[in-house]
Amino acid sequence: MNGRYRGFLTTFVLIFLLHCSPALRAQDGCLTCHQTMEDPRAALFLKDVHKAKGFSCADCHGGNRNAEDMETAMDPDAGFRGVPSGDEITEMCSTCHSDGSAMVKTYNSILPWGQKALLEASVHNKLASNGKERIVNCATCHNAHGILPVENPASPVYPLNVTKTCGKCHSDASYMRIYNPTIAVDQVDKYRTSVHGKKNASGDRKVAECASCHGSHEIRSAKDVKSRVYPTNVPETCSSCHSNPEYMAGYGIESDQFEKYSKSVHGKALLEKNDIGAPACNDCHGNHAATPPGVASVSNVCGTCHALNADLFAQSPHKEAFDEADLPECETCHGNHEIVSASEKLLGVSDEAVCSWCHGGDPESKGYKTAASMRLLADSMDRAERRAIGLVEDAEQKGMEISDAKFKLRDARQAILQSRTMVHSFDEERFREVITAGIAVTAVAGSEANEAIDEYYFRRWGLVFATSMLILLSISLYVYIRKLEKRKETGTRNSAG
Amino acid sequence: MKKRLNILYEWVNDRVHLEDLVEFLGKKYVPVHSHSVWYYFGGVSLFLFIIQVVTGILLLLYYKGSEELAFESIKFIMSKVAFGWLIRSVHSWAANLFVLAAMIHMFSVYFTKAYRKPREITWLTGMLMFFLVLGFGFSGYLLPWNELAFFATKVGTDIAGVIPVIGKPIMVFLRGGEDVTGATLSRFFGFHVAVFPGIFTVLLGIHLILVQRQGMSEPLHIERGGGSGGKTMPFFPNFLLRDLLLWLIVLNLLAILAVFFPWELGQKADAFAPAPAGIKPEWYFMFMFQTLKYIPAKLWIIDGEVFGIMLFSIAGLLWTLVPFWDAKSARGEKSRRIIYIGIFVVMYIIALTILGWLS
Repeated sequence: MNGRYRGFLTTFVLIFLLHCSPALRAQDGCLTCHQTMEDPRAALFLKDVHKAKGFSCADCHGGNRNAEDMETAMDPDAGFRGVPSGDEITEMCSTCHSDGSAMVKTYNSILPWGQKALLEASVHNKLASNGKERIVNCATCHNAHGILPVENPASPVYPLNVTKTCGKCHSDASYMRIYNPTIAVDQVDKYRTSVHGKKNASGDRKVAECASCHGSHEIRSAKDVKSRVYPTNVPETCSSCHSNPEYMAGYGIESDQFEKYSKSVHGKALLEKNDIGAPACNDCHGNHAATPPGVASVSNVCGTCHALNADLFAQSPHKEAFDEADLPECETCHGNHEIVSASEKLLGVSDEAVCSWCHGGDPESKGYKTAASMRLLADSMDRAERRAIGLVEDAEQKGMEISDAKFKLRDARQAILQSRTMVHSFDEERFREVITAGIAVTAVAGSEANEAIDEYYFRRWGLVFATSMLILLSISLYVYIRKLEKRKETGTRNSAG
Repeated sequence: MKKRLNILYEWVNDRVHLEDLVEFLGKKYVPVHSHSVWYYFGGVSLFLFIIQVVTGILLLLYYKGSEELAFESIKFIMSKVAFGWLIRSVHSWAANLFVLAAMIHMFSVYFTKAYRKPREITWLTGMLMFFLVLGFGFSGYLLPWNELAFFATKVGTDIAGVIPVIGKPIMVFLRGGEDVTGATLSRFFGFHVAVFPGIFTVLLGIHLILVQRQGMSEPLHIERGGGSGGKTMPFFPNFLLRDLLLWLIVLNLLAILAVFFPWELGQKADAFAPAPAGIKPEWYFMFMFQTLKYIPAKLWIIDGEVFGIMLFSIAGLLWTLVPFWDAKSARGEKSRRIIYIGIFVVMYIIALTILGWLS
C-alpha cells in the first residue's frame, strides 16, 4: 500500500471513529466553556462515570455541544432543555437506564435497568409536599454531576456512605414530619450504636447498612407485605448475610441461626402461620441498633412478650442463683434461636428435663424433690386432660350434644398453659394450686361427658323398650282387626246362608 | 270397667246425642280395591300434623324466638331439658316425613284422579295445605338460627326477590327488612306457630268434613270398570283401626330416627361469616333449586332466575287447577295425558333431587 492510500485510509478511520464513538467525538463545547467559568459542576462532571462513557452536558441538558458561542449552544431551537428538575431527572436518567439494549450494546454496561420501575413501586414514589414531583429522584441519592460507580468510596451510595445519604432526609425531623409525623428520625444514631454500625464506621463495607435491609430503589414501607423488613420477611432478609458461611467468615459467629429459628416455635408461628405477633430477628436483637442481647438483658428481651414468666422468674430463688453463675435466664433452659414449644418434658429430674442439669445429682436435695414433685403434678394434669378429651370425643362421636363439656376442656387447656407460666415461680404450692384447679375442670368436663354417654345408652335402651311396646301394641291391634274382620265375614256368610 | 264406660257414654249421649255420630260413622264405608293402600297416606299426613302440633307446643315451652337466644334455647332444649332432644328430633324428622307423606298423598290423589267432580274443593284445600306444609318447612328451618338455616333463608328469600315488580316487596316483607336479621326470625316464628297453623287448621277442617261428607273416591279406571264390586270396609272401626296401626308404625319409625339420627344443631348463625361451602336447601326444595342452577343466566331478554320462578309458579298454578282443565276425567273418561304429565313431574322431581344431592 502506498503512502497516499495509507493517508486516505487513516483519515477515513478517524472520521468513522469520531462519528461513532461518543468518547472520541468532537470537543465538548459546554464543558470547555463551563470549565473556563470555573463552574464547580463542570469540575464534578470531569470525574463522572458518564463522562468516562463519552457523555457530554448536552446529552442531559440538550443544546449544541459543538457551537462556539453560548447563545447558539443553549438555543432552545437546538434542543436545549436547561436544568431538569424533580421527576424530569428520573425520566432523563431512565431514557438510558431503563433501556437494556442501550445499556448493554452502546455502553457495555452490566448495570440492571429496572431501577425506575422499582423506584415507582417504592415508598419514595409518593408525591412530594409541593405536589409537583415525587419525593425522590435519581439525583437525590446519586447526585447530579459527579455520579460515581457504587464501588467508588466517594460515591454517596458506597456502603460506607449510604447511612449518611439516607440520613440527609431520614435524620431531619422537620423534613420527615411532612411525610410521616410518627416515623422515628434516630435510625442513624441507633445504627451507629449497633454492631453493624460500629463495623461500618470502622470501614467494613460488608456489614449491613440501610440498603442491605431496606433495599435501594425498591424501598417499601415496613407495613407493606412485600417489604424486605415486613415481619414475615425479616428472617430471610437477615439470613441473606447471616446464613452465608463464606460471607460471615471472619466475624466469629455461626451461620445457622435462620435454620434453627425456622424450626423454633417462634419461627413456625411467623413463617408458617404468618402470625406477625411472633418475634422475628429484630424483635430480640433490635433493628437499627441491632446487638445480640447479653446475659443480663436476655430475660428483659423475652419478658417484653412473656411478661408473667419473666416476673415470676425474677421473684424466684433461681434469679439469684443464675445471676451468681452468670447464666442467661431464659436461654439457659429454652435455648435461643431454636426455642421449641415448652412441654412437661422440660420439667422434672429425668435425663431430658432441664431441671436435672443442676438438680439431678442429689435426690435428697430440695431442688430435686421440688422438680420431681412438680413433674408429677404436671403429668397428672396431662393425664386428666387426656382422659376428659377421650370421654368428650366418645360422647361427641355418639352424637350427643356436648358443647358445654367441650368449652370446659378449653378451660382445662388454659389451666395447663397457666401452669406452664407458673413453673417459672419454681414454687411447688403455687404450681399445685393451678394444677388442682385444672384437674377440677377436667373432672367436671369428664363427668358431663360420662353423663352424656350414659344418656346415650339410656336412649338406646329406651328405644328398645318403646319399640317393644309399640310392636306389642301393633300386633295386638292387628290381631284385633283380623278378629273383627273375621267376625264380620262369618256374620256376612251366616246372613247370606 | 265396660259397665263404667257405658255409664259414661250414656251420660255424654244424654247431653250431645252421640248416637247420631255413631250412626253416621257406622254407615260410612271405604271401598276396597287394589289401590286402597293410597287412602292411608291422608291419615298418615294427619297423624304427622298432630305430632307436629304436640311436639311444637312442647318446644314452645322453652324456645325463645330472638336473634340472641334462639340458638341457645334450642341448645338448652337439646342438652338440658328432659327428653328435649327427643321432642326436637321428632319435630324435625316428623316435619320431613310430613312433607313426604303429604307429597305421596297428593300424587296418589292426582294419579287416581280423585280430584274430579265432585271433589274439586277437597283437592283445592289439599293443595293449599300442601303449600302451607312447604311454608311450615321453610319458616321452621330458620328457627334454630344456625349457620345453614341463616344462609338457606337468605338464598330462599333472595330467589323470591328476583320476581319482577312484586319480588322486592315480598322479599322485604318476608325478611322484615333488606337483610335476614332478627326481624326475619321473629316473622318466621310468627308465621310458623300462629299464622300457618291457624290457616292450616281451617283448611284441614274443611278438607276432613268434605272427605267425610263425600266419602273416599274410587280410582277412575276402577269406577269405569264397574267399581270395586261393592267390596267395602266400614270406616269405623275397621279402617280407623288400620289407620291407627300404621300410625303406630310411623311413631316407631320416628323414635328410631330420633335416637339413631338426632337432628343436628350446627353452628350459630353469623351474618358476617362467609356462607358455608356447598349450601343446599331442604330436600323438598332441591329440585327447584337445582333447576335454577341449570337455567342460563339470560334467556333472550328474560333473566334466567326470573324465568325459572315464573315457570314453577305457572306449573304450580296449573297443577292446583287440574280439576278445572282436566275435562275428560270430569266426564269420567280415560285421560292418558294427565298420567303422562304426572309421571313426568314425579320423574323430574326425583331426578333433579338426586342431581342436587350429588352436585
